[in-house]
Amino acid sequence: MGLDIPVFQAYRGTSPPRFASPAELECAKVLDYYGIPWMYEPRTFVLETDERGRVVEAFTPDLYLPEQDLYVELTAMKQSLVTRKNRKLRKLRERYPDVKIKLFYKRDLERLAQRFRLDLAS
Amino acid sequence: MRELGDEIARDYQGREPILIGSLKASLVFISDLSRAIPILHAIDFVELAGYGSAQMGGHEQIRVLKDLDADIGGRDVIVVEDVVDTGLTLNYLVRTFELREPRSVAAVTLLDRPYRRLVDDLPVRYVGFVVPDELFVGYGFDLHEQWRHLPDLRVLREV
Repeated sequence: MGLDIPVFQAYRGTSPPRFASPAELECAKVLDYYGIPWMYEPRTFVLETDERGRVVEAFTPDLYLPEQDLYVELTAMKQSLVTRKNRKLRKLRERYPDVKIKLFYKRDLERLAQRFRLDLAS
Repeated sequence: MRELGDEIARDYQGREPILIGSLKASLVFISDLSRAIPILHAIDFVELAGYGSAQMGGHEQIRVLKDLDADIGGRDVIVVEDVVDTGLTLNYLVRTFELREPRSVAAVTLLDRPYRRLVDDLPVRYVGFVVPDELFVGYGFDLHEQWRHLPDLRVLREV
C-alpha cells in the first residue's frame, strides 16, 4: 500500500510502523500531532489455543498508548459487519480483564475525520 | 449555566481563578459562564491550530495560534472547553499550562463524550452535559466555520 509515512515524533516503537490502512495512518498522525506517545501493533493477545497449546485464535490491536496503558482497535467496517471483531474483543476482555482496550467503529472514525479534517479514503 | 457558575464560585471562593477559553468554539459558552460565576475572576484565551489546518499548512506538530496574555504562574486556572471528546486537545493544553506552574488546573466543558476518550487523566471537574454521538452546531459550534452564530445548540442531521 502506497501510504506516505511522515517522520513521527511521538512514536515509541522500535521498528517503523507498517500501517494496514489509511485510517490507521491518519489516527497515528493525529496522536503524534498532539504529542501522545503511541506504538503500532506492539502486542498480540492469544485468545484460544488447541489441546497441544498451539494458537488457534489471536488478536493484535492496532495502536497502543503507553502513557494511557490503552490499546485502540480501529475498524472501518460497517456496523453490521463488525460482529466477528466484537466477539474477539469480548474474548480478549474475558481472558485479559486488566487490559484496557477501546474499539473505534466506522462512525467514531467518521466523527474524528469531521473534527480533525482527516482523509480516511482508502 | 447557573449551576456550573455556582459550583465554580463555591469551589474557588476567595481565589480569583482565571478562565481560559479555547477558541473558537468555546467563545459563546465562556461568555455565558463568566456571567454566571458570581466571584471575581479573569478571562483569557488560547487558540491552537487544528490538525486539519496544520496539514494544509504543511507542518505536523501542534502550533499555538494565540497564546495567553496573562501570566498564570501561581494562579488557579480553569480551562473552558466547548466539548471534550478524545481529550487530545485538552490534554495538550493542560500539559502546556502546567509548565507555567499555576497553582491548580481544572477544566469545565459544556459537552462531554467520555465514551470516546483516548486520554483519561484529564482534570475535567465541571461538565454541562454528557451527550450522545451527535454533531452539534450553533452556540459557537461550527461545521466548516458555519452555523456558529445560531443562538442555540442544535443537532445537525444528515439528509
